Parts: sequence; C-alpha cells; structure tokens
Amino acid sequence: MTVPLIARNTFREATRDRVLAGVVIAGGVVILGTQLLHTLALGEGRRLTTDLGLTAISLFGLLIVLLVGTSLVAKEIERRTIFNLLARPISRPAYLVGKWLGLSGALWVVAGSLGLVLWAVLAVRGHAAMGPAVLEGAYLAGLELTVITALAVLFSALSTPVLSALYTLGFYAVGQWSWDLREFARQAPGALRSTLEVVANLVPNLPVFNMRALAANGEPTTLAHLALATLYALAYSGCVLALASAAFESRDFK
Amino acid sequence: MPQGGHGRCSLPDRSAGEVTRRDGPKTAKSLSRLRADAQRNPVPPTQTHPDRRPVPGRPNTGTGQEPAIRTVGLSKSYRHPWTGRLVLGVEDLNFEVERGEVMGCLGPNGAGKTTALKLLTGLLKPTRGSAWLLGEPITRAESRRRLGFLPEQPYFYEYLSGIEYLEFVGQLSGLHAQDAHERARRWLGRVGLGQRPQLVLRKYSKGMLQRLGLGAALMHDPELLILDEPMSGLDPFGRRDVRDLILEQRELGTTVLFSSHILPDVETLSDRVAIIMAGRLTRMATVGDIVSGSRQRVEIRCAGVPLLEVQPELRDVLERQDHSHETVFMLHDDTRLNESIDWLLRRGALIRAVVPQRTSLEELFLNAAGAGEGSKAEAPADDRRSA
Repeated sequence: MTVPLIARNTFREATRDRVLAGVVIAGGVVILGTQLLHTLALGEGRRLTTDLGLTAISLFGLLIVLLVGTSLVAKEIERRTIFNLLARPISRPAYLVGKWLGLSGALWVVAGSLGLVLWAVLAVRGHAAMGPAVLEGAYLAGLELTVITALAVLFSALSTPVLSALYTLGFYAVGQWSWDLREFARQAPGALRSTLEVVANLVPNLPVFNMRALAANGEPTTLAHLALATLYALAYSGCVLALASAAFESRDFK
Repeated sequence: MPQGGHGRCSLPDRSAGEVTRRDGPKTAKSLSRLRADAQRNPVPPTQTHPDRRPVPGRPNTGTGQEPAIRTVGLSKSYRHPWTGRLVLGVEDLNFEVERGEVMGCLGPNGAGKTTALKLLTGLLKPTRGSAWLLGEPITRAESRRRLGFLPEQPYFYEYLSGIEYLEFVGQLSGLHAQDAHERARRWLGRVGLGQRPQLVLRKYSKGMLQRLGLGAALMHDPELLILDEPMSGLDPFGRRDVRDLILEQRELGTTVLFSSHILPDVETLSDRVAIIMAGRLTRMATVGDIVSGSRQRVEIRCAGVPLLEVQPELRDVLERQDHSHETVFMLHDDTRLNESIDWLLRRGALIRAVVPQRTSLEELFLNAAGAGEGSKAEAPADDRRSA
C-alpha cells in the first residue's frame, strides 16, 4: 500500500520538476532537428531520423536519471524530508522501491512522449509504417532507463548526489560495452580475464536494450527478445534494489 | 478521532499527575507478542509515574496495557568516520511513559534528546538495548502506525501544497484517500492554515511549516505523539496554539513525549519531566515533585523602611533590595516568614504584598545542568554530539 503512495509522490516530484520539462522539450527539439539533416542523408533520411531519435530518447532519459535520480534519496536525507516518511509505518525497502517506481514511471512517460514525437515526425515524412519499430525502440529505451534508475537509487541511498551521478554514469558507460568486455575477457590472460568477467557480469547488459539499428531499418524485434529484455530489466533492477535495501536498512538519519 | 471543532478543556492539576487516557482493545495476537517480548527481554527497574491513578469511568490502563513507551538499556554510539573513535549518543536509557501521560524531555544542546527521540521513531538504529512503542518493538515499522512525529525544524516537499502534503502523509499512515482528504482539510484549518490549502509549501514561512508539521503528526489520530522542539521557530501566538493543541491531545488521552528548550512550556504541559545530561537520563519525576523538593522563597514588598537594617538573627535568610518606589525583602526560607513579618511590623514597615516565589523548573534544570557539566568534565570535550 505504501509503495504506490511513495511512487505516486515521486512521480509527482519528477513531473513538477522543471528539469524534466526542459529535457523533454530539448529531446523534442533534437528529434525535430534531425529533419535538418534529412536532405543531406542521401536517401537514408528515415534511417537517420529513427536512429538519432531513439538515441535521443535514451540519452535524454539518462540525463534525467543523472539530474533527478541520483539525488532522489540523497536529497531527501540532506533536506530531512525523509524524517517525515520513515517515522511512519513504512519499511525502508518499500521506500526505495516506491522511489524507483515513481521515477521509472516518469521516465516511461518521457520515453513514450518522445517516441510519439518521433513517430509523428516519421509519419509526416511518409513513414507511418515505422510506428511499431519506433514504439518497440522506445519501450526498450524505457526498460534501459528503468535499470539505470535502479542503479541511481542504489548509489543515491549510499552516497552524495555528485558521487552517485559519477557511479551511475560509469555503470551506464561500461554497461553499454558489456558485450565487448565479455569478448575481450575471453582473450585476456588469467587474472585479468576473471576480473573482466566479474565486471562484465556486474554491470547491466545494456546492449540487450539497443535495437536501434534494427528499428532504423523498420524491422521490429521479436516478441521473445522483448520478453527476455523485460525479464532481464526486472531481474537486474530487483537485485540492485535488494542490495540497496540491505545497505539502507542499517543507515542512520542524523 | 479528534474533531476540528474541539472546545478548549479545563486542565486538571498538573502537579498531581492526574491524567486522562485513551484505551483501546488489545488483540490476542498483539498481547501474545507482548508476552513473548517480555519473556525475551525482562524489564529492569524503570522510573515509572509515581502517582498515577485510574480515571473514573475509564479502564485502569496500569493493570493490563503495555506502557506507551518502554525502553530497556537503549543506547546509541557512533563510530567517527575518520578516527574510528566511538562517540556516545545516548547511554542505557531505561524508562517508561504511561498511556495518556505527557512527558517533557529536557537537556542542554547535545545532551542526546533528539537522539533518543530518533531512536524511538526508527530514524536511528540502536547500538544496544530495545524499545517498544504501544507494545510494538521499534524494530518493526508497524510500531509507528499509531505514532505521530514532529521532527525538529521539519522540512517538507516544497512542490506539494499544504493539503496535498497532509493527504499524502495521512495515507502513508493508513488512512483511505477520502478520509485523508477530509482530515487534511480539517487539520489545515485546525492549525491555522485552512485559508489557502492549495498554497505550495515553498511559500510557507517557518512558523507555518511548524504548524503544518504538527497537523501532519496529528492527521491520523495517533495514540502516541513524539514532538522534537515543537515550539521552536514560533512566535508567541504560535507557541500558545501549539501548547493548546498538546493540551487538547492530552485531554483526548494521547500520550505525548516532547523535548523543548522552553522550560515554562515544559512545566505547564508535562505530567513528568525527564532530564537528559551527557546522553544519560539523570532524573525523571513529576514537575510537582521536582519543584516541591526545593526551598520556597518569599518576596515581602514594603514601604516606610528607608534606614532599616536586617537584624542579625535574620541576616542569613532575609536579603534587602532597594528599588525606586519600594523596598523588597527576599526571604530565602519560608519557614521563617512569620518571624520576618513580625520584625518588619515592629519596625513600622508598611507591608504592601507578600509574594511566594516558587523555584522554577528553569532554576532546577540549570542547577542540574551545572552538576552535569561537572560530570562531563571527566570525559573528553568532543566525545558528545547531537544527532
């Protein structure tokens, strides 16, 4: 019962924040701006618009996570607003899950809105049939942001906003290269190989959510892949939130 | 449920420690849990209310119900992040607060009052010891279901309006949405913020935030209120309103534990006072008991005694103070009042008034604090900190 309440309040907090509105507008402008390159794309305008548009959804979503998500819990502790919540019958894990759900919800709205803008732009250009591929791409971007938000909540619960932003960005960057890292580990000698494998398994497997090349060709991904990506996002986020809850449980609020 | 239109109630005699109580049925499940807790953690001798008596027409809570607050060896210490040195927060707190009782918590800055309150509300984790709120161990989130808490200098979500905030916290404490909405409206009005319910909190003044915090603490009709410096930041009118609210809750049988630096408020509101010094509970008694243990002073205001010197037999207890319009003789031992008045009348003094000067809680507290400073001197100066 308390999780949806905290989620709703976090959603309200995020959506009333000017940062979110600013980022959505900037994302929309970038998607529209791809049309300036359309004539230079030598017949690849559809591909370029789709690819850049989906990339913009991911990157602007990441920007929101870094600006809002990484201070999600730390700011509450710093401003002591957390006192008013945790002195009520709310468990600390429920608080963290609520925070994660609330911001994830706001990010889904952002990904969905920008996805619709992208679709509209493509439709104006006569590529309305790209709709399913674009929406799938936006859906996967939403899943990716959900995973990154879980990491932001973990770091935010344990450190300062600046540090948690750095950690989150680090995990995002390494996570984007996790397949290459795993490949590199196979060719590396002994101890380095084990280390790289551990790192590759710890960071989120973000290439799972990157179907932009496929979408740019107007090819929808398979349902099996979508289901797998959804399950992976939920499992990874669950593990991260469990870790965050365990660490947060013993934390003192002075 | 407290209604918005409660009338002001006449107050019972504070010094007698008379209280009214709120009694609710205890479920078999919670009782069995309490028994199990009691078996696991035998309670050491605690300082309980010395003169509690049943209220006519109400069950005697002293015979069956768990106290509203019970602490057993509750301690908190911190490890300094750089030096690794242990820093004491509070040490070995053992006390009980009975249901329906109002207890004031006194202590200088850094004594451990806020630490103790935060331990009870789950914001800090005890290093050692246990505590129960209304029979529930504080380690369980459920212990806070019937708790209302006002932190010191409360902070709120600036993006919410007053009514949104109260609805939110009311629902977090278990109220249904409709009920939370109705109560939020009522409590906003009750704390004097009802005229602009949609005003966002970033536009609230400090006093308004304090009032809102009190409304938030009371929204769900808690059986136990823990208030950390509830009068801080308030003007005299705000302080009076908060005092009235606490007294009203007391009349409804709500248990109240509050800390304050404003000693007259503690004296006015509390059934009992707990004095915390250097992280330890040094004294716990009724205000009446604390004050009655001190010698009574009497002020005798006179005229017509310009050259009168105090006779040698009275010099150790009677002190002359000359003012522009009168002479005041301060008698430091009221047992010698008749003797002093006889002497003044014999000398032709015109006695205008005889005013008993009760030793205030403030003087007694300052004396106790002075003693505490002495004991603190034994410890390194930096081994205390306030949460």
